[in-house]
Amino acid sequence: MNVLDPVPPASTASVAALAARPGDLRGLRIGLLDNSKPNADALLGRVAELLAQRAGAGAIRRWVKPGSSIPAADHDAIAAGADVVLTGSAD
Amino acid sequence: MQLERRGRPTVLLGTEPFRPLATTAASAAGMPDLPLVTVAHPIGGVDPKLVRDRADGIVDAVLRALTGPTGGVVPATAGAAAAGARAGTALVTVPDALDAFQADAAARGWTDGFPVLPPTAERVAALVAGAGLAGDVVVERLAPAMRAVSLEIVAVNAALAGALPEHMPVIVAALRALADPRFNLNAVQTTTHPCGPLLVVNGPVAARLGISGGANALGNGHRANALIGRAVRLTLQNAGGAIPGQTDRATLGHPGKYAYCVAENEALSPWEPLHVERGFARDESCVTVVGADAPHNVNDHGSTTADGLVRNLAGTLASPGSNNVYLGGEPLIVLGPEHARTIADSGWSKSDLRRALWARARMRLDLFSAENLARFGIIDPARFVGRPADADVGPSIAPEDLMVIVAGGPGKHSAVIPTFGATRAVTMRIG
Repeated sequence: MNVLDPVPPASTASVAALAARPGDLRGLRIGLLDNSKPNADALLGRVAELLAQRAGAGAIRRWVKPGSSIPAADHDAIAAGADVVLTGSAD
Repeated sequence: MQLERRGRPTVLLGTEPFRPLATTAASAAGMPDLPLVTVAHPIGGVDPKLVRDRADGIVDAVLRALTGPTGGVVPATAGAAAAGARAGTALVTVPDALDAFQADAAARGWTDGFPVLPPTAERVAALVAGAGLAGDVVVERLAPAMRAVSLEIVAVNAALAGALPEHMPVIVAALRALADPRFNLNAVQTTTHPCGPLLVVNGPVAARLGISGGANALGNGHRANALIGRAVRLTLQNAGGAIPGQTDRATLGHPGKYAYCVAENEALSPWEPLHVERGFARDESCVTVVGADAPHNVNDHGSTTADGLVRNLAGTLASPGSNNVYLGGEPLIVLGPEHARTIADSGWSKSDLRRALWARARMRLDLFSAENLARFGIIDPARFVGRPADADVGPSIAPEDLMVIVAGGPGKHSAVIPTFGATRAVTMRIG
């Protein structure tokens, strides 16, 4: 028999391209957007340290989102204060 | 994603079980190629040193995602992109034999585990007609997938659930309430926390459709409660894209996620019903959606006064493991009619009850571990930072946040239903 599919069609909305990537990270400022989940700061912070050591990245700055379920962060401030960004999503 | 749009290369770090959720969120936001780099689960609840060690294993992948050519760094959502766009609702050929159809529907991921009825064009058309709107009307975009959900798609899910055409206005109103930003559907659908929408129905529609607010109202045996609740769940799963174990990250979940729909027992409530408290007329029919945990029972066969009952209710409400403790939100108290009568006979209004419960359901800060206090303090410094160990917090941020309804049949039981916390109940008029 024929039935109707309960899953709606995929969105036809335009797909946004990613930001242009720099060739390397030398001297670039790393922004960390910490979602306040436990140990997110440890993971993000260590990855940033290693990027500084191994790839010559510059200053590391951290922004804290008060909760992972709260969709609020000052993206303009982060974009002004960082050249590349690491963020987290998991428990 | 907001940062990529501002020209800042961004990498999402997560754990492997969260990959389906992250890729769905990226696709829903129109950025399916957002790089995701994963480490072993979990990050939380382990020694930070172990987490730091895991960083060594991913730093090269992070570097490639930030500097390399975009795309191809980490395969993000090839599946979702390949699904492509198709117009309208798709027709699918399935086995005719009912048992074979069940196996097929389950394999397609269409079911909640229970058998479903075939969503034939004829049955779907009858359900669309029951809603009194055109089938191609977009009801809402539902998180996390954020696809346009037409009335016809809602009707297909209602058909799978076995819902009846006259249930459709309640189902549609509930979905519209769920999509209200105050409800925070994306978080409710994808959290590890065990929660799902509880539909509280008020007004004349409850009696007309047989939505029970009487004996065993939160349990089995009520066709309208079961079918309406299930139709909403299947829509959230199939159309909203909350796939258990993938994008629905619930650690345990709870049984109300199959179907969670109740009417308020307005006839036996001594107070004004929920929808009237929330600004609607008594003769309007409304549904209120609550991002709800499972019910926690309060057995009290002894107390004969409001003051006595409040001690018992407060004991169940003061639960240190509840999300409401640190995220706020609106815990729901479901009073059995006999408990409600006892409280009202002491001369108490609903507001009196709220204030008394809030004053008594206190939790001392030394109930919480130092790690939890540190975490709660980031989210809510006013209540958790710089206070002595014998200071306490209430079951919600303010007494007014405690929601109270009356439901159930004869007997001396009530229930406390905590919520996800970062969610507000939303009430929508039906029809």
